[in-house]
Amino acid sequence: MADVLATSAIPRSLASDRARSRRALDRLMTGVLWTAASSIVLLLLIFFGYEFLQGYREISWHFLTGYPSASDAGGGVGPEIFNSFYILILTLIFTVPLSIGAGVYLQEYAGSGRFRDLVQFSAESLATVPSIVMGLFGLLIFVQTFHWHFTAIGGALTLTLLNLPSLMRVTQEALGSVSDSFREGSMALGATKWQTVVKVVLPSAIGPLTTGIVLVSGRIFGETAALVFTAGASVSYGKSAYDFNPFHTAETLSVHLWSIHREALVPDADQIANGSALVLLVMVLVFNIVARVVGRQLTIRLTGKS
Amino acid sequence: MMATVQTQQPPLPTTGEKMKVENTDIFYGTFRAIKNANLSIPDRRVMALIGPSGCGKSTFLRALNRMHDLTPGARVTGTITLDGTDIYGADVDPVTVRHRIGMVFQRPNPFPKSIFENVVYGPRIHGENNHSKLAEIAERSLRQAALWDEVKDRLERSALDLSGGQQQRLCIARVLAVNPEVILMDEPASALDPIATSKIEDLIGELKRDYTVVIVTHSMQQAARISDFTTFFLLGDLVEVGTTSDIFTRPKDKRTEDYITGRYG
Repeated sequence: MADVLATSAIPRSLASDRARSRRALDRLMTGVLWTAASSIVLLLLIFFGYEFLQGYREISWHFLTGYPSASDAGGGVGPEIFNSFYILILTLIFTVPLSIGAGVYLQEYAGSGRFRDLVQFSAESLATVPSIVMGLFGLLIFVQTFHWHFTAIGGALTLTLLNLPSLMRVTQEALGSVSDSFREGSMALGATKWQTVVKVVLPSAIGPLTTGIVLVSGRIFGETAALVFTAGASVSYGKSAYDFNPFHTAETLSVHLWSIHREALVPDADQIANGSALVLLVMVLVFNIVARVVGRQLTIRLTGKS
Repeated sequence: MMATVQTQQPPLPTTGEKMKVENTDIFYGTFRAIKNANLSIPDRRVMALIGPSGCGKSTFLRALNRMHDLTPGARVTGTITLDGTDIYGADVDPVTVRHRIGMVFQRPNPFPKSIFENVVYGPRIHGENNHSKLAEIAERSLRQAALWDEVKDRLERSALDLSGGQQQRLCIARVLAVNPEVILMDEPASALDPIATSKIEDLIGELKRDYTVVIVTHSMQQAARISDFTTFFLLGDLVEVGTTSDIFTRPKDKRTEDYITGRYG
């Protein structure tokens, strides 16, 4: 023992200046990093607080359920809120099975090969297309070539193209996080690949999958550019504010926010925009919170993991 | 210079052959991990596979229930039969092979489900849906795996809350629930503490009355305690096979002798 110590011949002071300054730097950097992290919380609070103060006066039952007005003050955003949810659900109906199917195939079945690389490359290319370009594509295909004009379904299909790659990626990552030992354990009990995927792998990945789906939902809810050209910037005036026909025009809340700023004739356009922005913001925040809660609950329910 | 480990009991006279491995090579890509192995696995006995790390004993074990099918690049040649039928035959379904030849892994791998759902996973995927039947299978399997008394009051709790040793016995119960004929074990106790290990070893002693057990172990003492027959692997060669007492007291091959006396690995 003594020999070992003797090799560090110069006695080191426990409270040298060098040690002190190093510790000071360490503390300083911890503080800098803490500031960076907490500034994110602060920015969210400032942003949300500002939007709240701008918009809360506009929020009323009438505003949330009423029809928009063409030229008078006091129009509502009822159909827009409905359309936002309607297009969201339509989009999810197309996006979820397609992207989870593709993700499961790539992660569980494809192994490594040319077809896998091709799908992966296509998805990554699709992911880099700006939403406005996707909107123009939707305009060409659904609105003009198919003669659907501006429709909820055209908007939903365009949003499907836009969100397919990211949800596929989410699926791949969620499945990738499932331990191979579960797959081996299931196969060793005589399960087929399909049984293994459905009964062990997907339930084990349900937490990150749900979180991914709800986060994508938030993005669909807020998407604007792609919808202006495909679902249109006006609502259909049918028997009620809630029009379930997917072949009718369907302006969403975010598109409304854009259009009212740009071309509205109503005198209270600014107030409506502020109110709409607040509603939109609250909805997206709710999606984020729901994503966390549901993801965690499902994980506990299906896997018993807390 | 002979090893002084005592074998548990003289081996029982063999009852016949459950599996037979002939002229088998196993490749990972171009690497030849097992070279021309030949082995007869007796029915309802414990066969231990021993050898230094990397000798190919786990690779060999995984060939016995076609787990290599899941590893890209792995290839098994030669013939491996179960009751005379080649399990790699063209018309043989690997899923059926794994139904009849179960496997317990090195690390306990219970599914992230309840204890009950873990045990009945196999019966469920093989089409059993009757709840009282499943409950019956669960109790029988858990009793066989000597785990029933510890978990009977919390079958709905997550299997992940169990200790490592309990998880491993649950994995054994899970295999027993599908009624296999052969149980392969890949160092099932290596991640466990001594008490859990001895429980698993006792269990293996019980299992051989009804099942053929092939167990990979890196512990020679364990092989001596629990097995009737022992096979020694070295660098991909199946060097020697014999009754456990012969292998440990009268090895024929110099390499086997060096290994069990601690001069190798």
